[in-house]
Amino acid sequence: MSLESQFFLLMKFVIPVYLLAFIIYAVRAFKGPTIVDIILAVDCLSFDVAAFMAILAVYFKSVYLVSGAIILALWAYLLDIYVAKYLVSREVGA
Amino acid sequence: MSVLFYIGALLIVIGGICDLFGALGLLKFPNFYVRLHAATVGTIGGAVVPLFGVALLALGADFLPHRYAIAGASFITGIIVLLAAPAGAHALAYAAHKAKLVEWKPKVDHLKEVRE
Repeated sequence: MSLESQFFLLMKFVIPVYLLAFIIYAVRAFKGPTIVDIILAVDCLSFDVAAFMAILAVYFKSVYLVSGAIILALWAYLLDIYVAKYLVSREVGA
Repeated sequence: MSVLFYIGALLIVIGGICDLFGALGLLKFPNFYVRLHAATVGTIGGAVVPLFGVALLALGADFLPHRYAIAGASFITGIIVLLAAPAGAHALAYAAHKAKLVEWKPKVDHLKEVRE
């Protein structure tokens, strides 16, 4: 059994676990009671989509998917900092 | 070189399990400050560990074209997430306490005592 077929056998078990986790994060992001819950769920979702895109880059044998993962990780941090800034200065929410 | 492939595959499986448990905790825990704990499991265990796993797996896989580019980029992404996720979660918790968004019953509230 070559390494490539072992990798595709592994992906058959790993990809449904990640998709189930994405669905549960999306449920919390849609029904979160306060704004910080929504931001936290979107944050976790973005970091995990970044990790999943790195896995898909190996799956589809393409380099270009990984460059999107770096941008996605930086974007989630930017979202956190901006929402925290506007909540502390009491311009949104509260 | 296939040792690196098997270590990376093990890290990806561990990351998937941590990701699922973090998502379940984020759905089931009662308030925001407790959900931050599950979010830490979901980001550090569920994103940093599989990114390092993809880096090791791409280094060990000989069927992959451009494997050094994929390994380096996913390693850099792992380091970015490792630095950015705790800082972002800390800023969000501070903002939630400062704006008094969340109803909860604390035994002690050291941040409020410091402010006064």
